[in-house]
Amino acid sequence: MEQITVSPGAQITVLPAEKFNRCRISINFIWPAAREWATAEALLPLVLERGYGDCPDMTELSKKLARLYGAALAVDGTMSGQSRVLTVTVSGIKDKFALAGEALSREYADIAFGVAFRPYLVDGVLDAEAVEIEREQLREMLESEINEKRGYCIRQARRKFYGDSPAGIERNGYLDEVDGLTARAVTDAYHRMLRLARIEVTVLGADVEAIRSCLSAALEGISRTPCALPAPIAMPAVEARLFEEPLPTVQGKLCLLFTSGTPCVPEELSALRVAVAALGGTPTSRLFQNVREKQSLCYYCGSSYLSLTGMLCVDSGVEHDKAAKTRDAILHELNEMCTGEITPKELDDTKRMLKNQLAAVGDTLQGLEGWYFAESMRGSKKTPEEVAAEIDAVTQEDVRRVLSRFTLSVCYTLTKEAGADA
Amino acid sequence: MHNDSMRAVRGAAAFESAVLENGLTVRVHPMPGFTGVHAVYGTKFGSIDRAFTADGKRVDLPAGIAHFLEHKMFENEEGDAFTLYAKTGAVANAYTSFDKTCYIFSATNRVDENLDILLGFVSRPYFTAATVEKEQGIIGQEIKQYDDSPDWRLMFAVNQCLYHTHPVRDDIAGSVESIAKITPEILYACTDAFYRPQNMVLAVAGNVTMDDVLAACARADLPVRTGTVERAPCQEPLTVAEAHREFTMAVAKPVLGVGFKEQPPQGDALRAEIVCDIITELICGSMTPLYRLLYDEGLVSPGFSGEVLSLPGALSFLFGGETAEPERVRGLLLDEIARLQREGADAELFTLCKNQLYGELVQDLENVEDVASTLASSFFRGRTPADEIETLASVTLDEVNAALQTMLCTDRSATVIIRPAE
Repeated sequence: MEQITVSPGAQITVLPAEKFNRCRISINFIWPAAREWATAEALLPLVLERGYGDCPDMTELSKKLARLYGAALAVDGTMSGQSRVLTVTVSGIKDKFALAGEALSREYADIAFGVAFRPYLVDGVLDAEAVEIEREQLREMLESEINEKRGYCIRQARRKFYGDSPAGIERNGYLDEVDGLTARAVTDAYHRMLRLARIEVTVLGADVEAIRSCLSAALEGISRTPCALPAPIAMPAVEARLFEEPLPTVQGKLCLLFTSGTPCVPEELSALRVAVAALGGTPTSRLFQNVREKQSLCYYCGSSYLSLTGMLCVDSGVEHDKAAKTRDAILHELNEMCTGEITPKELDDTKRMLKNQLAAVGDTLQGLEGWYFAESMRGSKKTPEEVAAEIDAVTQEDVRRVLSRFTLSVCYTLTKEAGADA
Repeated sequence: MHNDSMRAVRGAAAFESAVLENGLTVRVHPMPGFTGVHAVYGTKFGSIDRAFTADGKRVDLPAGIAHFLEHKMFENEEGDAFTLYAKTGAVANAYTSFDKTCYIFSATNRVDENLDILLGFVSRPYFTAATVEKEQGIIGQEIKQYDDSPDWRLMFAVNQCLYHTHPVRDDIAGSVESIAKITPEILYACTDAFYRPQNMVLAVAGNVTMDDVLAACARADLPVRTGTVERAPCQEPLTVAEAHREFTMAVAKPVLGVGFKEQPPQGDALRAEIVCDIITELICGSMTPLYRLLYDEGLVSPGFSGEVLSLPGALSFLFGGETAEPERVRGLLLDEIARLQREGADAELFTLCKNQLYGELVQDLENVEDVASTLASSFFRGRTPADEIETLASVTLDEVNAALQTMLCTDRSATVIIRPAE
């Protein structure tokens, strides 16, 4: 990995990609999330993805990408801890596969930087017609969130868990604010992003010098004061709250969210990786083996952890009448790991599985990029090999210690029956 | 084609192949520079295989049996495969589709051991009444999970409308009622018939050699099965079973599906599938006037698309997505199909669609998982990745226009609308 600082708060990370058939360029803007900007910032990726100054029409842009052998352009908006992230990614086959010998990777860079830094403006404002069309798409996206029940249950639980914390700001904005969005508001959000964001460009398999020139040229004339990004947090421990939401579904959904109470410290991240995987991250984990296989309580039951907000998530698909029993079984397994024995075999199996995954990080473009981006969000530059060595050193006591910090904050159930806050 | 690109494509699509004495086909693509190995051990036995004749005796199967077998093949007298994979750190899984069942692992070390586990479990089935009963509960939950997915329900509702008797009508996992009929005896009959080396492929890609894989096959001492097995043919008329169906579920907006039933290809199925893929893109891909109209008027979400289903005895198109105005969208879709049939496809769009498909094929040959999967799936269709690229290159606009004259007839179409539950 090579890093090049182009200006304060703007850098390029170059990752090895010789073995891949495609190259990939990602431009990440990262800045502190703010509630009042959330909906305009959610609409921004949709508007940017339609076209840019040199190619404002979305159909022409689709044709341009197809001409480049189906190159892919994606503009995504996400939340990472208390920060908002907007990512422009262009990926496509390498020049050597071009049927007429075209210089494809230069075109990819031109599109990526065009979309990120040269949007299509009419009288200095993002095209009002495009904003209006995409506003309806955003509305549809927000209204359709119940279609995918598992994700909906987790999102509802997170809303209760984070409350008014900036970490809980909605990635897709707020439905009741969609109508009020104007082209001017979205343009303001764009300029605010350019001014405040840390800019991380990731290059895999494309011409680094060309990218450096593109970034330098793009930043010229922009007055920037990049913000420091918020530090990791953890929601305070509270008495557990149980919520039930009636929905006409065939299968119920259950989501349990736990807080560590104190922010994650980098020294404990490897122990947390092992602990969360041993709890519910592998086919030999406690939740898979005991809750799914032995007790047949559910079809899936898995755990995950967000280091930037100290949140442990366990979610499960259950029969409606087994939700309470499944919840108790999950809490029992967590308690058993905190107080009972964790066998050396269990620990070794989990470590092997994690190390296997770490060793494979470099085998995909997305894996490589995702790894180093997550590291950078934590202010770290560890390689998968370094983390694998840390995982080797994790002990049973470490696992017990880190899991013991978690307390249940929210239990959210999608059920057939009408329920009320408990 | 440019010489360099020809060399690059040939290199990416190359693989070593062998057919063992017992009939098993082995395909291996060593990929220098990659750490991981991905293996697919698959059988040409999927959800549409519902009756066969073994040594002259007909056996009828309940819906969902191929998927049920997939779950059970991870167990034998000594325990489950996941426990053994945990000792190597490999990640293992399996999947069943309409026409195949595949068992997979991804690993970054101890490849020999992982191949031994994979071949050992899948080649030596072990079923008891107790383990079958336990799995009926787990799979029942999986079926219920899919019952809440609008996309899944839409696809099967369209298939049920298009087909009178073809097993593509039934959910891949079957129903709670159909899997209740499964017994150890039926499972053994299926493994005897379809898990014989002659009906299977072992495809491996990554940090591995053909010698490694052949040595594992020799160690596995795969049982040779004699006798004849024939799939019972399905009698399916070209008419549709039901032209229109509506139902409700928990969705935010109506979901529309429009299916077209086609004559299954008699000769070159690969060529027919590529022509159908191009037609789908020409009707409602992101470069088309129809897509632009639907999108700009807010009539559909970005997920609105078309796809082709090609299986033994079945060929169909499915267009669909979320829309507030399903009847109007259906009308516009039919109008656009009629226009293309009348005027012929645009030559520029046709070339761009081919370009795009070429890029997708190159992308499928990039990482170890995709390469192994592509080698296995192309084997089941009696082709190679290079065949796919060469056939794509030779498809002409005239062929596509000729196909448009015989396909996509309104009187062989069916419409399904899912409306939001009250």
